[in-house]
Amino acid sequence: MSGEEEENAAELKIGDEFLKAKCLMNCEVSLILEHKYEQLQQTSEDPMNQVSQVFEKSLQYVKRFSRYKNPDAVRQVREILSRYQLAEFELCVLGNLCPETVEEAIAMVPSIKTRGRAHDDEAIEKMLNDLSLIKRFE
Amino acid sequence: MFFHIVLERNMQLHPRYFGRNLRDNLVSKLMKDVEGTCSGRHGFVVAVTGIEHIGKGLIRDGTGFVTFPIKYQCVVFRPFKGEILEAFVTMVNKMGFFAEAGPVQIFVSNHLIPDDMEFQSGDMPNYTTSDGSVKIQKDSEVRLKIIGTRVDATEIFCIGTIKDDFLGVINDPTTA
Repeated sequence: MSGEEEENAAELKIGDEFLKAKCLMNCEVSLILEHKYEQLQQTSEDPMNQVSQVFEKSLQYVKRFSRYKNPDAVRQVREILSRYQLAEFELCVLGNLCPETVEEAIAMVPSIKTRGRAHDDEAIEKMLNDLSLIKRFE
Repeated sequence: MFFHIVLERNMQLHPRYFGRNLRDNLVSKLMKDVEGTCSGRHGFVVAVTGIEHIGKGLIRDGTGFVTFPIKYQCVVFRPFKGEILEAFVTMVNKMGFFAEAGPVQIFVSNHLIPDDMEFQSGDMPNYTTSDGSVKIQKDSEVRLKIIGTRVDATEIFCIGTIKDDFLGVINDPTTA
């Protein structure tokens, strides 16, 4: 349990296993789960009975909180954010919450300012601008 | 946060499933077994998305069961301390409110709700600011920060706060 105590997402302490793993934004999870649900629909008559409660709740949640609906936009978001040398986890928090100001972005992802990366306010601002552009043209 | 990770599991399969469809049987049993489960380390397993590798089966002495080591990819939901996420409110009472983010339940105590919000009882209990401009009630969407997690055998339970910058209600069902 000692590892448990030290975890802190704000400092990007989420354990090696998850740090290296691929994070998913809500909109990506929504695409995956809906695809899986459609497959289930084809093979059985009552798909809602087939899936676990965890699946059902997750699907509802990501549908409700997805910022981007269309698959192309989702891909673009990841592409744009991945230009900024972010950790996977940071990328997904930004993609999920879509902060509007630099201040907000830093409050959401405090680790963005640490670790000696060249993230000055201008770079963050540009990143947020790029993000909002995708939203606007979706 | 949702993650896409690779997990391993040893699956025991009854001999009656051996045959042409062995692989299919194995995969559908895997999905039935792991989807919806929860562990403190990996969080909730939401869905198996692919099979990476199925190892050689090993017949167990004494029984006819065969154990297959399987590596599979899956989507998991794992909340972290310090993580900021959005959730919707499921219940409000004078102690605070409960919210849900996917499979996980988050409790926000009234000590962690900004001091200018007060509890109002009634058939739609809620927390409201003195000028009435912000209201938290059932079905509100809030942005909160997880400050603690508790893991039990089948569930992860979180404590959250909305008493910080840029946290709080993002969407009020009555005005939307």
